[in-house]
Order: sequence, then C-alpha cells, then structure tokens
Amino acid sequence: MTGELYDPRKTFGAAVTAAAEQDERIVVLSADSGGSSGLGGFLARFPERYLEFGIEEQAVTGVASGLATMGKIPVFCAIAPFVTCRNFEQFRNDLGYMRQNVKMVGRNGGFTYADLGSTHHSLEDYAIMRMIPGVTVLAPQDAGEIQGAVKAMLRYEGPVYMRIGSGTVPQLFPSDDFVIGKGRRVRQGSDVTVITTGYTTISVLEAVDVLMAEGLQIDLLCLGTVTPLDDELVLASARRTGHVITVEEHYPRGGLYGAVAELLSQTFPVIVHSLAVPHIYVPSGPYPDLLRSYGLDAASLEVEIRELVSRRSKGDQVAGLPPAMMSRAAPDK
Amino acid sequence: MNSRADELAVDAARARRLVLRMLEAGHSGHIGGALSAIDIITALYMNELAIDPANPNEPGRDRFLLSAGHKAMAQYAVLALRGFFPVEILDTYGAFGSRTPGHPDMHKLPGIEANTGALGHGLPIACGMALGARLDRLSSRVFVLMGDGELPEGSNWEGAAIAGHYKLDNLVVFVDANGLQISGRTSEVMDMAPIAEKFRAYGWATDEIDGNDMAQILDILTRLPLAAGRPSAIIARTVKGKGVAQLEDTAASHYWRPTQAELDAAIQQIEAQIGALQLEATR
Repeated sequence: MTGELYDPRKTFGAAVTAAAEQDERIVVLSADSGGSSGLGGFLARFPERYLEFGIEEQAVTGVASGLATMGKIPVFCAIAPFVTCRNFEQFRNDLGYMRQNVKMVGRNGGFTYADLGSTHHSLEDYAIMRMIPGVTVLAPQDAGEIQGAVKAMLRYEGPVYMRIGSGTVPQLFPSDDFVIGKGRRVRQGSDVTVITTGYTTISVLEAVDVLMAEGLQIDLLCLGTVTPLDDELVLASARRTGHVITVEEHYPRGGLYGAVAELLSQTFPVIVHSLAVPHIYVPSGPYPDLLRSYGLDAASLEVEIRELVSRRSKGDQVAGLPPAMMSRAAPDK
Repeated sequence: MNSRADELAVDAARARRLVLRMLEAGHSGHIGGALSAIDIITALYMNELAIDPANPNEPGRDRFLLSAGHKAMAQYAVLALRGFFPVEILDTYGAFGSRTPGHPDMHKLPGIEANTGALGHGLPIACGMALGARLDRLSSRVFVLMGDGELPEGSNWEGAAIAGHYKLDNLVVFVDANGLQISGRTSEVMDMAPIAEKFRAYGWATDEIDGNDMAQILDILTRLPLAAGRPSAIIARTVKGKGVAQLEDTAASHYWRPTQAELDAAIQQIEAQIGALQLEATR
C-alpha cells in the first residue's frame, strides 16, 4: 500500500479511456454525467465515441442496449441510484433479459454523496442488481482494483454493474490481477472470517490489522465481485473459523450479507453477523460522520468486530452487537 | 390498388389466419392489437426491410422492433410467412417453453431483435441501434411499431428527444393508432392527441395514413425518410381487431379467449377474405 490517494472517478475514467485505445467498440454514454464521472479525457480523445443524452437514464439504458446489438461496448456511468433504481426495468429487460454487453457504472455509491441526502445515496444497489439474472456485480476495493475491474469487465461479454465511490482511495492491490468472481484472502486466521467488499475494505483492513496485532486471528476475505460470489473462498473460510462477519456500505438485506448468508445457510451453517447500514433513510451530513454514526469507520469496526468475536467465543450462539452498540445504528426517532 | 398492394393484402390476410391458428393452439391472446398492426408488419417484412431469413444476423440488416410487444402474434405470423422459421412453430403458442411466448424473446426465434413487452422500451433501444448504424456508417434503418396506448410512457418521449436531437433519419416509427386500450378509448384513458404534433415538437417529420390500407402503407414507405435529417413518425389510423367482425373496434378484443364457435366464425371470415383478396390480386 502506497501513501498516495486517488480519485476513484478519475481512475475509472482514465482506465476506460486507456482500454478504448485498444478497442474501438467501446463507447461512452452520458446522462449529463460523463464529465463528473471522470470521462472528460475520453471525450477529448474520442469525441465521436462519446454520446451525450442529457438527464434521461431510462432511455439511455435502452440506447445502450441498442448500441450493444450493433456490436458496441457501451459504458454508462452516473450517480448510482439513477442507473440502478430509476432505470430498473430497462436494466432488467433491455440489458439483463436481452443479455446485452453493456457496462453500467454507479458512482458515488453507498452514502459517499453524504450531504446530498437519501435521494443520492445508494444503499441497495448490490441487492437490486443481484436480483437480475445474468448481471455481474463488481465493487472494486481500491484504485488498483478499479483499473483492474474496468479492464476485466470490458473483456467480459455480458451485462455488468460496477459500483465506485467518490472522495479518495489508496491503492491496496495490483491494477492488473482483477478476476471477476474471485476474491482475495488478504489475512489468514482461525478465530473469525471477516468478508468485505467495495471501498469499505480500506477501513476494514485498518481495523483488522489492529485486532490482529492484539492477537485475534482473522481470516480476511476482500471481494471485488459481489456477484458471482466467490463461493469456494467463502465456504473454505467459514469451515476454518465457524464464524463470519460481513461488512458493507449497503443495507444488510440483499447485499453482501445476503449473498454470504444464502450460501452458508445451505452449505455450512454458521453464525453470520452483518456490519452494514441500518435499513433506514440515513440523514445527510459529512461522510466521516455518517461512517462513524453507522459503525463503518475503522475505529468503530475495530470495536464491533472485537465485541462480536468475544460474545461468540463466550458461547453466545445467536446474539449480535450489545444494545448499547446497536443503538448507534438505530434510526433517528 | 396496384398489384403489389393486392399481393401484400393477401399476405396480410394469410398472416391474420396464422394469428387465429395460434389461438387455436393457445386458446387466448392479445389479438386486437395484433390484427390492427398486421398490415404494416406484413408490408415491412414482405416488401421493405433489408433482411435475409437465411442470414438473420447480418450486421447491415434493417431492424424491426415491436415496442408494443403484446402484438407478438402478428410478428410471429409474418416472420413465419417470410420464412424465418417453419410455420408449425406457431402451433406451440401458449405451450410451456414455447418459442413464441406472449411477448417476443430474441433468444428464442430468429428475426426478433429485442425483448419487448414492457411498454415504452422499443424506441430508446431503436435509437441505440440507429446511432450504432451511424457510427459504423451502415445503411441499416430501424423501424419501430408502437401502440397508441403506450404513448403515455415517459421513456418514449425520452427516446423521441434523442432521435430528434441526433437527427436520426434512419429511424422510422409507426404508431398503430387503433384508439383503444384495455380500459377503453385512448382519448378517455389518457388523451395523447395530437400525436403527430408531439413528435414534430421533438424534431420529427410526420405523416398520417390509414394503417389497414396496403396501398397507403406502400406509398408512405417509398417516401422515407419523410424529411432529410429527421426521424420519421407515421401515425397509422387502424381498427383494433381488424378482419374479425366481432372484434373490430372493441376494447374487449385487446385480449381474447374465444369459444370454439367464435373462433370458427373468425376463421371462416378470414378465409373468405383471403379468397376474395386472392381473386382481386389475380384479376
């Protein structure tokens, strides 16, 4: 890990532009969203392959489908809820059902658009996309994986949804080894499995390293792909530790927790705890405050993981976080 | 009538008979809109589209999208007539796993270009195809058949804006304006008149025809695009359920589950029309 920080959107845009040098089928679609998605460089380099449509995400999704029929590889990036919720039926029918080779990218995922409020948050995109048969769901975890995931999804034939955040991210992983459907076992241990995805991994890694220095043995799985889940990696780790904690900037239902629980409940049933955003419309505010409020910053994760492992090792088979900690994550009354 | 129009009118009547054959197999279906649109669909596939049933995926082909996907029986009938697949496939209509589902599936049959049925999807997809053809300097044209009942869907007007903005003169929309939908007259359910003016406001060229008159359909096809540098929208006034007396101009024809006697009477009427039109065409 280098100390340097990168803008995920610029990293994404540069990777698409670089890939487009090699593959003239790649076209960029913008719903007044390309420039703020880091694709200004693409526009300058390939103006004829950059199509602006204004703000109409439903039709742009249909257009992407039609372009794919004509052999193009459309890349459409906008604010995450507008390319997952707003256009859901177009995604399901025009891309999923039609099996089109379209790459949809939701930026400012999770609640990274913190102060803009719930209309601009995306805490259900993994769940929504997981429900569409045949859609691959990527959540690159750092600047390296954003580059790798872009290359991988553009080589892959079929509909892909990728979530990226905003702000800045470090580089944790190489930029050239991203494999769709394969996670990374980044730390090895036998006390507990921690599974993370997306840029949440950055805070999780920080917390895990503190806990491991204390002596906790953590099997840390970092997944750049939500769907298809790396079943083999998850199952093998659950067998080693017998206790799983998932961490994601998403609602608990339907996302990474849902995927892991669905797998383990019928293969190797163990306790699976979720550290996620409660199922509410979260208040707006500075991003670090939101992370702290919902227990997803490194310091909170450290406390929560320690507590969950401790309760589990005392033989508490079912309990989650104690009430005092859960209250932090409860909706405002 | 010119002789080509006479021949195509016979084809359209034969296609109507094939629609009834599908009902013989499946017992019920969206027949009203299928019968209002079938003359246009026949003219396109039998006379206009640059397509080859032996090579249905030729990149430079023209495309036809049935945005009003519930009229699928009409498209299946005409594709079979045009030789895309054996006509016997139509006898699986309504069966489990049929290649002729209630709404078209491009992965099940050659000649189907999109999985339509949810309304308001066809035009945006067609815009993508027309843009793609332009990017690759292909001569492909894209035809879309929409129903007037689906016009309130907002995504249609997003697509209309795109086609106008990009001046997609390789894109042609037929609005099958039969004036009826499940709940009644479109003018009463949600009045979208004036339709042509709406398209024109988005930069389209428009015209209106009788969409059940083969001569008028052929004539308008010779005048495409209706204006250079503009997408074309043809408002085709049609009769829902056209060809079957019991169904004509009724909202009830939208989805029909006939008794055997009703179906027999419909078949008799259509077969009589085929005979009369054949006589006309050979005169």
